[in-house]
Amino acid sequence: MAKQDPRSHRIVITGATDGIGLLLARSYAARGHRIMATGRRPEVDRTELYGKLPIYYICADQSDPARTARSLSEATDRFGWQKIDLAILNAGVGWKGAAEDENFASIDHQIDVNLAGTIAATHALAPALLAGKGRLALIGSSLAEGGVDFATYAATKGALSGLAKSLQEEWHDRAGVTMIHPGPTQTDMHAKAGMQLGAVRKFFMRADRAAAAIERAVRRGEDEREIGRFYAMRAKWQKPGEGQL
Amino acid sequence: MRALVTGAAAGLGRALTDQLLASGHEVVAVDLDGETLDRLALESRSALISRPLDLANGRAIESFLIRHKADTFDLVILNAGVSAAGRFEDIPLERHLAVTDINLKAPIKLASALVGAGVMAERSSLIFISSLSHVTGYPGASVYAASKDGLAVYADSVRKPWKKKGIRVTTIFPGPIRTDHAARYAPAGASAKRRMAPEKLASIILKAARKGPAELFPGGRAARFAAKIAPRAVLRGLRKALLDKMDEPRL
Repeated sequence: MAKQDPRSHRIVITGATDGIGLLLARSYAARGHRIMATGRRPEVDRTELYGKLPIYYICADQSDPARTARSLSEATDRFGWQKIDLAILNAGVGWKGAAEDENFASIDHQIDVNLAGTIAATHALAPALLAGKGRLALIGSSLAEGGVDFATYAATKGALSGLAKSLQEEWHDRAGVTMIHPGPTQTDMHAKAGMQLGAVRKFFMRADRAAAAIERAVRRGEDEREIGRFYAMRAKWQKPGEGQL
Repeated sequence: MRALVTGAAAGLGRALTDQLLASGHEVVAVDLDGETLDRLALESRSALISRPLDLANGRAIESFLIRHKADTFDLVILNAGVSAAGRFEDIPLERHLAVTDINLKAPIKLASALVGAGVMAERSSLIFISSLSHVTGYPGASVYAASKDGLAVYADSVRKPWKKKGIRVTTIFPGPIRTDHAARYAPAGASAKRRMAPEKLASIILKAARKGPAELFPGGRAARFAAKIAPRAVLRGLRKALLDKMDEPRL
């Protein structure tokens, strides 16, 4: 069993049914924290995902931002979580292709899930975060400043980055905000975005290392942190001219 | 020459539209305010084509695009935008979502579909109106700032590939403008003197459109420099000048 942290925190993690979010949920829970984990599926096999860890699953499909906010508000009420110590808003989706070939459904989906859904979750959790003098951590991307084949995805991540910057100042004495920009990571995100990666994938950062770096940036209370830049560069080398999610 | 301007009925969009009409352009004008558009169409003797449209409505954008799929545009200015000012947590969620829909989703859809449908002329100009908040941040309008950051990043992503198609992508980062829209979100008693007149900004933008620079910061040189050397101090100053003076949200 992992070493227990001195105090048990209340932590909300979105997109916690796979990838980095799942690893974060397991890691915090194993150290004695209580986790509210969200995902888009109505039901999940809790034992398979989380074993006996103190992780509560909440369905919050961010493609419907208003409903996501309601689900989260209801859940924090039901659990009596008037104060939250940490919210890691990690849920995200991507699409790769030429910007002019993208259909409206894909533009809607990425902006809803990555940006509007994250704004909705932040809005729903803000009262408890501020009451608990907690910390909000938003997951951006190494593409947050632009990416030729990921124009809408990059826009959503750039927007999150801007949200974090302004919120840091708005909440300066009331709650912390950490913006994290991971480079390409070995998760299922690329496959879900319809990308065939092949051998390139092994150059990506391991998901557990990304999760550990996120935990470190949050623990130190950093404003902004880029992780896995080295991997972003290596992945670029492998396929010149292409960024990666 | 044929232009498309969104948010054409008031403020900067109106100034752009007036100047385009005066220089002999045909303007397809989009705005929620159909009455004003219809009046402008009448006054312009059909040089202005009135297209009342709610940019928060994805379906309406689709039917607009279908209607214009056989057109050719030499100039497209995606200018329409809304804001919501106040503490992030005090602004109703519906307003935050309206800001992301109108300021980010709509221009991305319009740009993507116009270029995808091949209605942009061989040598044409596509202009996104972002905000000076992209360099400074904007405590007190955090979602507005986020939407304008998203737009700037989108423009950066598409600039190179669309240049190969002959479309020059320009992002404008205007500072405070002297419009009714801007006055609505400013703190009480704020002076409008240091804001740029929309007519002046419009002429700067249209002059620039001929050359097609990647970026333009009209009247924002000092703010840009300050944000580069002391970003935190600029943010703090903006918070004190804007957010701390606001007792309730301005929607």
